[in-house]
Amino acid sequence: MNLARAFRYYGKKRGHRRTGSPKLGSVGEAIFFAALLLLGCAGLVWLFSTFVVPEWRVNHEFIEAPCKVLKTEIVESMGKDGMLFAPRLTLEYNIDGKTSMRSESRYDVHGGYFDNRDSARAVLNDFRLYTRSRDNRYPCWYDPSDPQLVVLTRGYGWWVWVGFTVPVSFVIIGAGGLIYALLRWGKSVERRAAIARRASARRLFHTGDNGDYPFVPQGADMTNSPGTKLKFRLPMAGAAGWALFGMLTFCVAWNGAVTVLIVVVIRGFLAGHADWPLTLFVIPFLAIGIAAIVCFLRRLLTAAGIGPTRLEISDHPLQPGDLYRLFLTQTGRLRIKLLRVSLVCEEAATYRQGTNARSETREVYRQELFRQEDVDIVDQPFETEIELTVPRRAMHSFAAEHNEINWTLVVDGEPAGWQHYRRAFPVVISPAAGGQP
Amino acid sequence: MSDEPSVVIVLDGDSRHYGPGETLSGEYWIESVDSSQVASIEASVLWRTEGKGDEDMAVHEFWRRRAEEGQLLEPRRPERFSTVLPRSPLSYDGQIIKLRWCFRVRAFLHRGKDVVGEREFRLGAVSPSHVHG
Repeated sequence: MNLARAFRYYGKKRGHRRTGSPKLGSVGEAIFFAALLLLGCAGLVWLFSTFVVPEWRVNHEFIEAPCKVLKTEIVESMGKDGMLFAPRLTLEYNIDGKTSMRSESRYDVHGGYFDNRDSARAVLNDFRLYTRSRDNRYPCWYDPSDPQLVVLTRGYGWWVWVGFTVPVSFVIIGAGGLIYALLRWGKSVERRAAIARRASARRLFHTGDNGDYPFVPQGADMTNSPGTKLKFRLPMAGAAGWALFGMLTFCVAWNGAVTVLIVVVIRGFLAGHADWPLTLFVIPFLAIGIAAIVCFLRRLLTAAGIGPTRLEISDHPLQPGDLYRLFLTQTGRLRIKLLRVSLVCEEAATYRQGTNARSETREVYRQELFRQEDVDIVDQPFETEIELTVPRRAMHSFAAEHNEINWTLVVDGEPAGWQHYRRAFPVVISPAAGGQP
Repeated sequence: MSDEPSVVIVLDGDSRHYGPGETLSGEYWIESVDSSQVASIEASVLWRTEGKGDEDMAVHEFWRRRAEEGQLLEPRRPERFSTVLPRSPLSYDGQIIKLRWCFRVRAFLHRGKDVVGEREFRLGAVSPSHVHG
């Protein structure tokens, strides 16, 4: 297959495959991250020049002098979110210990604006007007290059540094994205994949796939629990407890909201002015709430009444063509009309559709390993040994970013008087050792 | 014969089926292109997925040659390659996932185009998927 490609400006969806212009995409990506970086830098410059530099000058360059407070007032101005209030003090102080200067102080270098009058008043309450009898003076700091600029407090405001988190995150994301875009610039998809593979191989703690078998899951969770009869006890996928907890949360939230509406409706009836539109509106919501409670209770009874299912295996990971033993334990006090154990393979794919990530799963293989009708569990748990032969040419387990092939041992039960239940135990099938074409 | 540049890939033994750990070897060249037109040539052994999901892809082996100053590439001269294939992932024809292995050559021309050619092969002998009742 040969393809000659020039610059492509647009993207198309061809069946399951999306085409597009990688070069245009890279340009757009670089422009986006460069804009973020510039925005972040501009924000940093503004924060430094507006807040940090003036505060630093007050702390390091302004000269301290004793001052008399001659007058205090609160100045009002209209801000974006309403009225602002600033304490203003007329001070008298000496420059270089000689020249007397009278100036209106802004209390702090930023102007000292508050969103309520009480806060501004609280600042002024710390200063008493000068009287000859008290001879009360306060320290102030004036700018040697502009002695009219004088403040009554100094230090660093912590909130300025909190404000830095926004432009700093813009700079980090912008610079990181720009470096990433530049590193990808002009590189083919194969070269980028090769670079990514080398980087992955250099990683100290390489996790995810099996080192001997790339893109085959390690399945470490499946071998960290020893069995009582066989080598490993397999973990169950999607523990029922979390599903029940989710359903309970939904029931409480939904029915709580519905209850408020019902109370309003009932009060209306009791007061003699029934609100029929609201009553009709509440009925479907009430029906959903009741259905949710019934569903939750049925699941709860199923989970509590059927009891745990345990599955042990003689070895793991599995190899195509090999024979394994399974040991199934089903507890509870019930009669199961039909109990089955199957080896199941599912393909799972995730894909983008517009801005949504979607996934699809399809069962592509099912082998029934065990089937028994009319299982009565009374005093002792039901226990049985099962043989499993992995198909000789079975596809191995596979896990990539968007596509997976998962193997599972599935226990299906149809208890008398209860809902059907299914419990899945994931397993890993490795590629056939030394497999030949 | 077309005047468009094209990639020719010949696998040794003309085989299309390989086992894990076997050696994949052969040679490739690019036709209808002059040395002065080619900026660089990349060759890779890779797998990719096809099907319902977004594409996954990984490179097993990667070679790159580029024209140095005063030293042009000779794209029409056959270039040999050889690599030991990995144990996984194996080629697979599923229902919503297909896994394909191929040897791919990409030549970057000075005028901004790239010429791509690839030759598929199968790794392993996995059965196509089918549901058993």
